[in-house]
Amino acid sequence: MRKLIPILLSGVLLLSSCSGNIHPSGTIGSLPPLEPDYSFVTVPRNIAPLNFSYTGSEECALQVEGHTLRGREGLFSFPLRLWKELMTRDQVEMTVLVRQEGEWKAFQPFTITVKEDIDPYISYRLIPPGYQGWQKMGIYQRDLTSYKQSAILSNDLTDGNCMNCHTTLGGDPSKSVFHVRAAHGGTILTDGSSIEKLNTRTDSTISALVYPYWHPSGDYIAFSVNKTLQSFYNHGEDRIEVYDMASDVVVYDVHGKEIAWSPLTKGKDHFETFPTFSPDGQWLYFCSARAVEMPKDFKQVRYGLYRIAFNARDMSFGDRLECLYDAPAEGYSVSFPRISPDGRFLCFTRHGYGNFSIWHKDADLWMMDLETLEKWPLEAANSPETDSFHSWSGNGRWMVFSSRRGDGLYTRPYFTYIDEEGKASKPFLLPQKNPGAYYKRLMDSYNLPAFLKGPMKMSKHRIVSEIRESSGVDVQVK
Amino acid sequence: MMDRFALAFREQQQLFLLDKTYLVQSLFTVGGVATLSGRFLVQFFWNPAFAVLITLALLGLGAWLLWFSVRETRADWPVLPLCLIPFAFLSASLSENAMHYSVLTAWLLALGALCGYSRIRSHRLAWGILLTMATYLAAGPAALLFAVCAAVLDFFRKEWASALYILAALACGLGAWLLAWTPTLGRALTPSFYYDLDAPMPVAHWIPWMVLPLSVAACRAAQKLQGKRFLVPGGCTAVFLLALLPAFRMAQNTEDRQPGITYEYEYYVANEDWDGLLKACRSHEWIPHTAQYLNLALSWKGQLLTDLLKYDQRGPTGLMMMSEGRGVETTQAHIMFAMGNMAAAQDVAFNTLNSTEGFCPTMLKMNAQVELMRGTYAVADKYLSLLEKAPHYRRWAREQKRFLYNDRAVEEDSLLGNGRRSWPVMDGFAMFGNPLEEIMRVIDANPSDKRALEYALAYMLLAKDIKGVTGVVDRYYGKPGLPSLPVSVQEAVLFYSEYTRNIGGNNNLGPDWCAAHGVAEGTFRRFQTFQEESLKSGGKAPKGYNSSYWYYLVYKEI
Repeated sequence: MRKLIPILLSGVLLLSSCSGNIHPSGTIGSLPPLEPDYSFVTVPRNIAPLNFSYTGSEECALQVEGHTLRGREGLFSFPLRLWKELMTRDQVEMTVLVRQEGEWKAFQPFTITVKEDIDPYISYRLIPPGYQGWQKMGIYQRDLTSYKQSAILSNDLTDGNCMNCHTTLGGDPSKSVFHVRAAHGGTILTDGSSIEKLNTRTDSTISALVYPYWHPSGDYIAFSVNKTLQSFYNHGEDRIEVYDMASDVVVYDVHGKEIAWSPLTKGKDHFETFPTFSPDGQWLYFCSARAVEMPKDFKQVRYGLYRIAFNARDMSFGDRLECLYDAPAEGYSVSFPRISPDGRFLCFTRHGYGNFSIWHKDADLWMMDLETLEKWPLEAANSPETDSFHSWSGNGRWMVFSSRRGDGLYTRPYFTYIDEEGKASKPFLLPQKNPGAYYKRLMDSYNLPAFLKGPMKMSKHRIVSEIRESSGVDVQVK
Repeated sequence: MMDRFALAFREQQQLFLLDKTYLVQSLFTVGGVATLSGRFLVQFFWNPAFAVLITLALLGLGAWLLWFSVRETRADWPVLPLCLIPFAFLSASLSENAMHYSVLTAWLLALGALCGYSRIRSHRLAWGILLTMATYLAAGPAALLFAVCAAVLDFFRKEWASALYILAALACGLGAWLLAWTPTLGRALTPSFYYDLDAPMPVAHWIPWMVLPLSVAACRAAQKLQGKRFLVPGGCTAVFLLALLPAFRMAQNTEDRQPGITYEYEYYVANEDWDGLLKACRSHEWIPHTAQYLNLALSWKGQLLTDLLKYDQRGPTGLMMMSEGRGVETTQAHIMFAMGNMAAAQDVAFNTLNSTEGFCPTMLKMNAQVELMRGTYAVADKYLSLLEKAPHYRRWAREQKRFLYNDRAVEEDSLLGNGRRSWPVMDGFAMFGNPLEEIMRVIDANPSDKRALEYALAYMLLAKDIKGVTGVVDRYYGKPGLPSLPVSVQEAVLFYSEYTRNIGGNNNLGPDWCAAHGVAEGTFRRFQTFQEESLKSGGKAPKGYNSSYWYYLVYKEI
């Protein structure tokens, strides 16, 4: 009997949402206007139901694989059981019906393609897209198989300060690093059950550590050090320019608590930033630009893609730089290089100038084949608005990236399937129970979305205590 | 002790929304009921009279709840003055806006619980612990007040077990801290819970929290003297009156970090009451801040140049804020918006919007308007939809929604259309260099922007840059932005004409040029008289010219 109750209940729920079949008397020769537009997207089998709304004002219904869902104020909410059933197929066909002048008419049908699973969680920062004034921000995690979001840490626990650059080792939630700025400032490193606060400002570097990337061994973290400023445009499509007056790339030894660098990653003639290790740990990739007078020549600063050999045994660097993409020669700048777990592809953001691509409308995702150095835009994933910071799933088949395509200002996480040729599919927006209302109401941007293999379980109280009470360990220079 | 404008400004520090997500998110936090009910009440503070009346009513209700809790018979009214004392101090605590209004609603919840507890006759211990925990969840550390007061009441009945309530409240605070519902144990258990996150709470805010249990004890002690007819009412009233003085001193000591006049000015700006703002500015002595608001009011009334020198002016700092960088400042946003520097206005307004406890409604309105000017309708719709959920702003938001996705309507609207035309053509950063250069970029883009032109000319006049004034006149006189020359500008142009002729021997800007550029015959004559009288007065300012630009230029030190 105990087992029967949930089955009966779910049956009742299913019946209440799915009504009898509707036979349309006519067709409409176009696709329905949907919010979000989930038509022809590719989704992972384990994703939460992709509820969406028909944005017209008529009474509406959705026919999907023999089931009919009535729209409530345009919203189609999939019962979990039905959604799970749909996700067992390779492709799902959906048709939106609307009642016009008493007659049901069918829009052109569309499909959703179902592919392999995605990592079950993502982490991100939620922050108002001004990056200057805020009362509240925080680092959050979201279960992709449901709609559940929880705070990893929010700044109401740390006196309203800034926290950023949360990064894990290959999506492992137990190994993470992030920074806390201003009051109680420091870099927080978590490893299993241990938490450590680091003071990363040294006399030999221009700033505290900034953009991190873990070495696959977990023994090192590459960081940039940046003197960053931001200004608000008085004109033009882009609103804010974030730029570096100077920057370098260094590597931090997690166990030795010291940093080291190569003269090729730290010098006054170039701005180096956005370091990334290759999956085999033997290469350190980064972006580098010829130094110019800043901010006067901010539109002249363009970054190319470089790499340098890295030896994890003794924390040493190669003696030459390899240029993989001389973007400035083509009049472009690149940022955020991220390599697929199998080491074959490198995805980067390309834009006209500068390095903080999230504020550049022309920023698009590009892919590079690391064997041939051939590169191409991820056309199906890109939009006329900003498409920027991206991260790979553990199986290398999915990428999550930030895009402003919704309203042009507030970044939202989109997911795209990457096939074996490195081509992207049409991306889908992070699902919500009522995505239209949710995203319209949300006054924060999603910042640095990245996959997690599971939830971060570290006690918030312990993290907060470390941040507030620990004076931190001073990082040394090797 | 109660500044009506400071209370009204609380309404600008939040946006109460009739929205399920907002209500649920606010409610399901420690002290959520107090927070939400506080925000609900503060939404009515757009009217300062409502703010005062509501606050007085709540303070009165609190005193009555306290009296109801301590009274044993209806004849206990003589102790009522003692019940007023904690609320005199609480109202002093509320004089600082960093102390959230939820402290008052939290007190009411705690006293409501005390009231209920005082009427319970059986299973008092269990009820007491339950009420402590429920009060903690609903009101936060005010539960400790309930626990202490309940224990004090019971001590007089020799019920010592009630001390457990205090332990229960402490345990709740400890739990909240361990669960990271509060950042520190101190915040979980003290009045600092209701204070701004980013600043240490002055010690004075502890006073009402200490006075409340003392008042309960005093009431109980007074009740023991009931037989003495005149001693109790007389003594209680005397103690209350004596307590008013320290409460008043506390109000002064905890006075807000923001100067009180800002609240008054912001009230008039939020309501676009420019006459009220002018009147308020006139009633306060000159400081740059006051002058900025005064000139802002003149600008919106279209009288910046005509009436500029009717008021005390001491340089361009009284016109705009000279702070460098992109700050969080409503005044700055309003001034930038008025002068047509929409990018700078939006930058400051956006940061200010997100730097308050909720969303500052005036800044949200400004952001919505700038988005409409930009033509980024999806973002404008987002902001207007949010404002639509706030009862007081619903009507305004709905009116503005008619501009969504309607370029023609935007362009035909005097404010939005002007703003849309005012985006500088030349690319650059906002608030990055000389503020005058930024206004000139706006005027280059939109020469018909009268307010921007007035601000530019006023800036030059106040900076005594008569060459600059003449340059602007040369370029824009007779065009839609400057169809005629206000007297102050005529005076500046004439002075510069005379100066260049006398000093530089340059006749290009002579009387004919001046006359052709809007200098009236009367101004020529007055200038002649001014010069003669100046010579006669031997270096002293001639009488009758205090409102002239010549007086400002020659005799006013900036």
